[in-house]
Amino acid sequence: MRALLRHPVVNTAIKALGRNRLQTGLTMLGITVGVATVLAMMAVGAGAQRSIEQQVRAAGLNQITIRAGNWRPKVDESEAAVAHQGDARDSLRHPLERLRGDVLPIAFHPEDDPMEKHDHPTARQRLGDLEAGLGSAATMTFDDAEALRKLPGVQYVAGGIHENVRVYLDKKRWFTRMHGTDVMMPSIKRAWTFTAGRFFTEREQDRSSQVIVLGQVVADRLFGVGANPAGEEVTLWNQPFEVVGVITSATWVVQPAPGDDQFDAVYMPYTTTQRLLNLSKLNDITVTAESSGDVSRLSREITKLLRVRHGIGDNEADDFTLITQATKALTTGGLPPSVARAVASNVAELEKVTLEQLALTMERASRTMTWLLAAVAAVSLLVGGIGIMNITLLSVTERTREIGLRMAVGARRRDVMRQFLVEAVVISAAGGLAGIIVGVIASVGIARTLQWATVVSPLSMLLAFGVAAAVGVFFGWYPARRASQLDPIVALRRE
Amino acid sequence: MIDVHDLAKQYHIGDHVVHALRGVTMSVAAAEFLTIVGPSGSGKSTFMHILGCLDRPTTGRYVLNGRDVSTLPGDELARVRNETIGFVFQGFNLLARTSALENVELPLLYTRHGVVRAAERRDRALAALDAVGLTDRAEHHPSQLSGGQQQRVAIARALVTQPSLLLADEPTGNLDTSTSHEVMEIFARLRNDRGITIVVITHERDIAAYGTRTVDFRDGLIVSDVPNPFDSRLPRNARESLAQGKSA
Ligand SMILES: Nc1ncnc2c1ncn2[C@@H]1O[C@H](COP(=O)(O)OP(=O)(O)O)[C@@H](O)[C@H]1O
Ligand SMILES: [Mg+2]
Repeated sequence: MRALLRHPVVNTAIKALGRNRLQTGLTMLGITVGVATVLAMMAVGAGAQRSIEQQVRAAGLNQITIRAGNWRPKVDESEAAVAHQGDARDSLRHPLERLRGDVLPIAFHPEDDPMEKHDHPTARQRLGDLEAGLGSAATMTFDDAEALRKLPGVQYVAGGIHENVRVYLDKKRWFTRMHGTDVMMPSIKRAWTFTAGRFFTEREQDRSSQVIVLGQVVADRLFGVGANPAGEEVTLWNQPFEVVGVITSATWVVQPAPGDDQFDAVYMPYTTTQRLLNLSKLNDITVTAESSGDVSRLSREITKLLRVRHGIGDNEADDFTLITQATKALTTGGLPPSVARAVASNVAELEKVTLEQLALTMERASRTMTWLLAAVAAVSLLVGGIGIMNITLLSVTERTREIGLRMAVGARRRDVMRQFLVEAVVISAAGGLAGIIVGVIASVGIARTLQWATVVSPLSMLLAFGVAAAVGVFFGWYPARRASQLDPIVALRRE
Repeated sequence: MIDVHDLAKQYHIGDHVVHALRGVTMSVAAAEFLTIVGPSGSGKSTFMHILGCLDRPTTGRYVLNGRDVSTLPGDELARVRNETIGFVFQGFNLLARTSALENVELPLLYTRHGVVRAAERRDRALAALDAVGLTDRAEHHPSQLSGGQQQRVAIARALVTQPSLLLADEPTGNLDTSTSHEVMEIFARLRNDRGITIVVITHERDIAAYGTRTVDFRDGLIVSDVPNPFDSRLPRNARESLAQGKSA
């Protein structure tokens, strides 16, 4: 690099550009904007691909939940019953669908008679202590979770206990869902972001500390919209809990709403729940697959492993229930649950179907964005290019005598041409480098503000830089040629 | 060294034709010191541009070192200018904001082998600056040098490719009398020490007297061509330096 900068041709170009610093700077700016836009454009395009994967993960398509007990909700084959079956299905429902009459009671979330509306099975039910287990023992343990963690293809594992609770702040109270969960949860729920504070820590989990993370809905109800509850104290089960953070949705697809399972909820270490409620088992274990295409295979592995661990004979039924988002998606797709279940068990690679649908939507959005950016890039590169032509012409005019002199001492026309082409390319390359920096920052900005993953690859940087250099060559061509066509005598005489 | 035969040059300005040269025939031997005099507009510069391969004659032949260069293509002429010819101009034509050393290095960027590498450029440029007695000013920029010093840097630049022909168009036109003589003494010494052929255009008779031979241009033609009795018309200090050069 240094050797290149010291090369006489490049060195001369840089010196010459230093003479018209302001013009050079302004010209560079055009190229910078152009290249930054080109880079952002490619980042958005490439990011769309990754975005699909991310949205898929946010939607939990790579997620497998294993519930304790072969518990089935008391399902009638009616749709209304499906809607009330469980939190997980609800959360996956389309928001508009949730507004339909059959689910409205949950959305309204009245406190007066919560147990009737919040039709969740209680922890004890699902642990099999009551009638729920259908004959199987309460089986899901922390050791199971640890064993699942070791399976190849597994990304995160989190054990969970779920309860309906009243959370008190002095005299204010809010009836909501409590999730005793693992520190890993924020990694699993990619679509989470913290409006205040943080998640609980591993240390707090190990010590079963009385710390709590509030969903946005709970925080708003108890502390008021816009308040920062971090560090405040709330009461559950007559026990004080320190609020350490508030979570909300990171995507515009999902908005926190009363009655939802994620943000109208509170989170604490599962160890704390176990200690306070005197429970030793888990309600469920959530596992994420490293690749969402791997969910089917992983499901089979998990079933196999758990059956062995729980000592279940070949002819006996599982003592756990495996739920993937793919099967859930089917059950919310308007199919009667029995049919859905039948389809899900027969379509092994179901998640891929869903992926394709998502990909199509993302692709459409990314195409619009790409065209917009392409237009901006084209205009700024054109303006930048004309700027380069202008400043190089200025340079040729100012340095006519110098050109004549160089020719007199032996420079050929092509040497002169090269000199001014290099000059044009130096501007565009410098503008291009700046553009790459700005483009990377812009891409990060886009990713942050629009929740749109952007990917800036080294190849795209190289390409953007190449575009800049090409603009330099293209628009530097005419002035450089003009310089090279000068008659040395005429050039030398010029004042 | 130089053989020109019936050299003519016409310029067309609109439908008007200017005859800058009207058939010049002459030769210059190697190691000759030719001075050209003549009134303004008589075609001296035009003649020198053709000698310097910066321009081509309209008609006539120019043979340089046994090679007909009057019809060479542009790139070939550029090579001849780089290797065989050194130019010195009235206005110095040094690059501003560039050190004397870098100015002298300039022709070494355009050799037949491409750009001479930096260390060698530096060595050769320093040697050329040494020949004009300016080694201690190598890092100075033109604006920090006097007119005489600037012209000496320009001479060093002309020398750096070790040409056999040095052409100077009114090199003393912008200099005062004493520095003019200093510059002319450098030319005389270069011719005596290195056998470089030198052609200098001048208005002034006492400058022309440095030549071993003087031609007089009038209206595009040579009207007189006389050898100089090298002693009598030279100033005393010039005579001394020439004598030293010869004995060395
Ligand atoms: N590029 C040109 N175009 C037209 N006329 C020219 C050009 N160069 C020189 N001349 C004319 O040619 C004649 C000789 O000029 P020049 O060789 O410069 O004279 P000198 O150097 O002896 O003063 C002049 O009449 C001048 O006007
Ligand atoms: Mg002249």
